[in-house]
Amino acid sequence: MTPFLPPDLLPLVFATLMAFSVLLYVVLDGFDLGVGMLLRATADSTERDRMVAAIGPFWDANETWLVLGIGLLLVAFPAAHGVILTALYLPVAIMLLGLTLRGVAFEFRAKAAGAEDKRRWDRLFFAGSLTAALAQGWMLGRYVLGFDPSLAALGFALLAALGLAVAYGFIGACWLIWRTEGALQRRAIGWARAGLWAVAAGIVVVSIATPLSSERILGRWFEFPNVVLLAPLPLATAALILGLRALLRQMPLPNDALHSLPFWGATALFCLSFAGLAWSFYPYVVPERMTIYDAAAAPESLSLILIGALFVLPVILAYTVLAWLVFGGKARDLRYD
Amino acid sequence: MDTLLLSRIQFAANISFHILFPTITIALAWVLLVFKLRFNATREARWMDAYRFWVKVFALSFALGVVSGITMSFQFGTNWPGFMERVGNIAGPLLAYEVLTAFFLEATFVAIMLFGMSRVPNWLHTLATVLVAVGTTMSAFWILVLNSWMHTPQGFELRDGVAHATDWWAIIFTPSMPYRLAHMLIASGLTVAFLMAGLSAWRWLGGDRSAGVATALRTGIIMAAVLGPTQLVVGDLHGLNTLEHQPAKIAAMEGIWETRSHVPLLLFAIPDEAARMNRFEIGIPSGASLVLTHDPAGVLRGLNDFVGEHPPVAPVFFAFRVMVGIGVLMIGLGLTGAWLLWRRRELPRLYLRALVAMTFAGWVATLAGWYVTEIGRQPWLVHGVLTTAEAVGPVPAGQVGLTLTMYLLLYAGLLTAYVVTLYRLARKAETVPSPRAVAQPA
Repeated sequence: MTPFLPPDLLPLVFATLMAFSVLLYVVLDGFDLGVGMLLRATADSTERDRMVAAIGPFWDANETWLVLGIGLLLVAFPAAHGVILTALYLPVAIMLLGLTLRGVAFEFRAKAAGAEDKRRWDRLFFAGSLTAALAQGWMLGRYVLGFDPSLAALGFALLAALGLAVAYGFIGACWLIWRTEGALQRRAIGWARAGLWAVAAGIVVVSIATPLSSERILGRWFEFPNVVLLAPLPLATAALILGLRALLRQMPLPNDALHSLPFWGATALFCLSFAGLAWSFYPYVVPERMTIYDAAAAPESLSLILIGALFVLPVILAYTVLAWLVFGGKARDLRYD
Repeated sequence: MDTLLLSRIQFAANISFHILFPTITIALAWVLLVFKLRFNATREARWMDAYRFWVKVFALSFALGVVSGITMSFQFGTNWPGFMERVGNIAGPLLAYEVLTAFFLEATFVAIMLFGMSRVPNWLHTLATVLVAVGTTMSAFWILVLNSWMHTPQGFELRDGVAHATDWWAIIFTPSMPYRLAHMLIASGLTVAFLMAGLSAWRWLGGDRSAGVATALRTGIIMAAVLGPTQLVVGDLHGLNTLEHQPAKIAAMEGIWETRSHVPLLLFAIPDEAARMNRFEIGIPSGASLVLTHDPAGVLRGLNDFVGEHPPVAPVFFAFRVMVGIGVLMIGLGLTGAWLLWRRRELPRLYLRALVAMTFAGWVATLAGWYVTEIGRQPWLVHGVLTTAEAVGPVPAGQVGLTLTMYLLLYAGLLTAYVVTLYRLARKAETVPSPRAVAQPA
């Protein structure tokens, strides 16, 4: 098959597709892992059921973006795939343990023998969500610093682990503000208010540590004209955080007005942070070691996937929207009938 | 133990655990669709009763299949980076098409199928059920396309040791693919047939004589009666295909150490790898020659033709006998049940107990079959192109040992929870009548 795009454009196209999948994954599984981490913040079993019902119809499709993201890494950049995943061998296994426990707990808690059995699965639901979030944050921290084995780098990874977990908790709370009502919604507003400060602190820490860790990134951020071109990013982030703070202080509003806005605000925060990272790392797929052009698979194979992806991704997005419409509005009990 | 062996055990543990659940969901999705369509057409409550019970089993199996499948998707990179580096140009697009055309489809529509019955019009719910069934089957298609290519690779050329695709049709439609796909889809059908019949028989013996239980029981038995003999034919064809393309595997399956004619069909033996011979042989004279060449004097190649390049004999030999043995039992029980249903319509307790004993027989036979074909491929990962040893990653053995232990503990726990929950659902179902099945046309 002849490549229908210039071969040197393909790695960029696939890097974009991969970034898109990873970003969607972080937002989408971020909110449902976040809700899982908040599960034990309430002892009320009806509220827990409602929290699980708010993410039940979504988690499965949300997780698929991880499979697509990692799949694109695997198929488009096979050399980088091996390097990254063998360097992150243990955290990947721990993340998978967390995702497995969380995923099966949905089903097992719904079919539990009694209240005690259900509480046991709730604990695993919580532990699985937290473990997965921490492991993903740890991997992000290790990746950002190019798998630097120094103690300082491990400390940074630890911070990133906590930071991502907090960010997931925040977007999870925002999701609950949108999808629940009454006492649970008021609790979620409280969680979101507390979470916002931690998220802001996390963004500041990562923004300071990242350029300090790499001469190249330092230059990319602060040399002229980059510093001017890049300025809207931190400014918009700061404005968003202040806006969210003002909004959350006023919530709940009469008639539940603007109830979805915190979630979209949190999504925008995730996108801005992600854009900052993407800008810093381009064109590297393994920071400081391997560019997307070094690691790309054969153009014929990439073209074949791209043709399929261009046809299928719009369809996937369309039926994702359909599912969101079917399960729109406030969460109701999940029933099989 | 070294990284290679530990990684192989870990991959085997992961994929063995994973395949249990797709084996159920592939066929169960279609069975649920039939229940739903029968209910749409007849409005008989028993179809909706059966649907309502088995959709819970489906939901549980689906969740376990998803999480273990995600684990599988990471194994290539964490443990077998050489696989993607050498044959990634072939395997990559096939895996990508699986995710794009199947994984998203099932993951999205399964939510509407499971939780959407009261939220969407009936036609949309039926459509969601169709799409989930199509998605699970397409997923199986792409995975088996890749697996078949690894057994009978074609349509590529090697440049500097890296495989590059030259003909995608040849890559997708490899010689072993149609047989392997059919064999696996029917295996899924048989697994579900005996799971449904076994669990329903257990409920029936426990005193639950509701129409929904009887419907699932009859469906299971009829499926077994139709699919069992079909599998015999398809399995035979698959074997002949393997003889043509991977004769060393057949030699191991049949325990043939020396190339010869009039090869006996061994019912039992203990292969002795060191002495390169069988002990305690019991066989049917010329049987294997007759089955594999359709001529009692037919010549079959022995392991002596593949010294140093054939799989370990004993595991392949025994796994094959486990699979065939269970298959024979399944055919016997399926045909007996169909005959009983046809003649008397009253199933004796002894027969029902036999079904209960066979509830998970499909799992055992499917795993045994996969062990035959996958161990039978050794030492190759991609037949004639890449060995398992070349593909393994640089992770220290200690770390692989650690994760392997973690997975084994996790899977033992989850498997126990799964089986316990199945029986609890079956027990609970009899005490809680379905309130809406009759009133709600859905």
